[in-house]
Amino acid sequence: MMKPKLFRGLGAILFKEFIVVWRDPLTLFFFFFPPLIEMIAFGYALDNDVKHMAMLIFNEDRTVQSRQLIDRFVNTESFRVVGEVKSLEELKSEMRKGRAYAALMIPPTFTRDLNAGHSAQVQLLVDGSNSTTALQALQTGLGVALTQSLESLMRETGRQGMPVDIRPQMLYNPAMRAPNFFVPGVIGVVLQIGTTVAAAMALVRERERGTLEQLLVSPLSRAGLMLGKLVPYLCIGMAMAVVLFTIMRFVFFVPIAGNVVAMMFSTLVYVFALLSLGLLVGTMAENQMQALQMSMVFLLPSVFFSGFIFPRETMPWIFYALGALFPTTYFIALMRAIILRGANLLEYWPHLGVLILMSNLLFSVCALRFQKRIG
Amino acid sequence: MAEAMIEVEGLTKRFGTFTAVDHVSFSVGKGSIFGFLGPNGSGKTTVIRMLCGILEPSDGTARIGGHDVVREIEPIKEMIGYMSQKFSLYDELTVNENLIFSGKLYGLSGRELDQRRDEMIATTHLEPYIDRRAGQLSGGWRQRLAMACSLMHRPTVLFLDEPTAGIDPVARRELWDLLFEFAGKGMTLFVTTHYMDEAERCDHVGYIYLSKLIVCGEPDELKKMPEVNPPGTRRLDVTCDHVTTALQAMHQMRGVRTATVFGQSMHLLVDDSVKRAQIDEQLRKVGVSHAEIHEMGPSLEDVFVELSAKHASEQQRKAA
Repeated sequence: MMKPKLFRGLGAILFKEFIVVWRDPLTLFFFFFPPLIEMIAFGYALDNDVKHMAMLIFNEDRTVQSRQLIDRFVNTESFRVVGEVKSLEELKSEMRKGRAYAALMIPPTFTRDLNAGHSAQVQLLVDGSNSTTALQALQTGLGVALTQSLESLMRETGRQGMPVDIRPQMLYNPAMRAPNFFVPGVIGVVLQIGTTVAAAMALVRERERGTLEQLLVSPLSRAGLMLGKLVPYLCIGMAMAVVLFTIMRFVFFVPIAGNVVAMMFSTLVYVFALLSLGLLVGTMAENQMQALQMSMVFLLPSVFFSGFIFPRETMPWIFYALGALFPTTYFIALMRAIILRGANLLEYWPHLGVLILMSNLLFSVCALRFQKRIG
Repeated sequence: MAEAMIEVEGLTKRFGTFTAVDHVSFSVGKGSIFGFLGPNGSGKTTVIRMLCGILEPSDGTARIGGHDVVREIEPIKEMIGYMSQKFSLYDELTVNENLIFSGKLYGLSGRELDQRRDEMIATTHLEPYIDRRAGQLSGGWRQRLAMACSLMHRPTVLFLDEPTAGIDPVARRELWDLLFEFAGKGMTLFVTTHYMDEAERCDHVGYIYLSKLIVCGEPDELKKMPEVNPPGTRRLDVTCDHVTTALQAMHQMRGVRTATVFGQSMHLLVDDSVKRAQIDEQLRKVGVSHAEIHEMGPSLEDVFVELSAKHASEQQRKAA
């Protein structure tokens, strides 16, 4: 027989593993269902676009000019007026209740000061207990005041156009849509949960049931066993990736700017790396409980340190270095490059290279680590 | 003896400070059935695992078909079959699929694989269950399937670790008939068991006790050992009513060395000076009126009981 010795017994393991996976609907369910739910939940919940923040008005001036100022705030789309108050006490009480994130106080002297050429003071109260909304409210408020001041000044001086005119242009994600930024990352995070645990379980179950002993007695090779365990889950993982990308495109409307083949190939390498990681866990764990706990050790930090939510560049160096250890880090970087920036191979190859290296290394380590003896 | 298929020399396995197998030596001839006996935890499975190359010996050597189990394990794997205690089957796979899997594992494919499977199904009479999941089979059928799986690649040496544990008597008898059939075709069989009647059927038996192989040989030879037949004694089989009452009476009788109940009869080891009439008289005193007394040879169980008692007392003497 001239079969390559390296993968001896691969066919047998593939034959068995595909049947076992297919006949175990519970495993398939846990493979598919939680990631789908997480995808939908993450996709909708992770949104740092702050729009239509509740705002209270305390207008003691009640003139056309003061109403124009309020309109300017509303026109930014950052605020919506939820009510007017009649006193400072009422305002403070409403803010404490959390009825609004911001409140605009216009004093009775507003129009008079404006017309007299004095500085007309307006107070913007911001609820600082939520940093995202507070920051947005502050920036918008300052922007509105600045614009209005500049317009008045230009009218008075008769000057045309701003002294410095900044024209920002948002590349790759012109509408600044949060799903565009988050959803490719969400795919990376949810893909790793089902795959890693499933691969670890597949190996540990064999040990728990005593069938591993039978395999060890046979001429099956280590690489044959590992690849045979990996390929069926690779197929399922890729099927799931297709579902997730479809949801990304048609539910969250994230356009794919780059090459779809490159996107799928990167995903294939990524899932291969994750499954190898799972198998590595499987060679170390004695039982399914241990396998689950060990998988979590890898899975949880990767959510934080992969740049999925927080940019890695601003992290302390130790966490930055930690992030470099997770395949998820490179996958998320790749997805943002391919899907959002439409990057080509020359532009994203370093990430893909690391991912390919990582998946080969992980697979080799788990095949070599696996003892063909027991005890 | 025919040429040796399994040769074991000073095989030892230590787990930390515990010695699970202590300098065990024996050899098994080609085409013979070797029965490996011993209480639970005495080291039987550990020996099998070392012979199959999945556990590294701490000391000593073992060769299978001339190949060393540590250095030349790959050729050994092609020639051995192993049926573990737990009947390692995949419950989600059908009988047919389990067989196909086992064949593929050893590189069988195409027509050869199908032929071999049909052959195994015919041998083990598994036809009615061919499409049933292994998880839904009863103990006896699981055992047959496990055996069929371990035979798919036609091993020259087959290791069976307690193949008949928890199996009904009919299935047990049938399995042994199959084993004889295979041995007749030249297969070497290494079987661990708890059953003395199974041991009696083996060509050779070994008894491992407290990690040491204390006896090894043909059953008939072992029964003739002087340790088992002390000079000036004979063995008697006494069939009577009220065996438990009779047993107490025999324990108190002078000249009776051991007395053990076997169902409706007792096995006695008595001094030659003890006459049958004396036994009769002693039994009548305790109200056992009718007793049939025959002379008999030792059983294998007698052999193992005598030898392990002797071994244990020697160990105690050494420790003291």
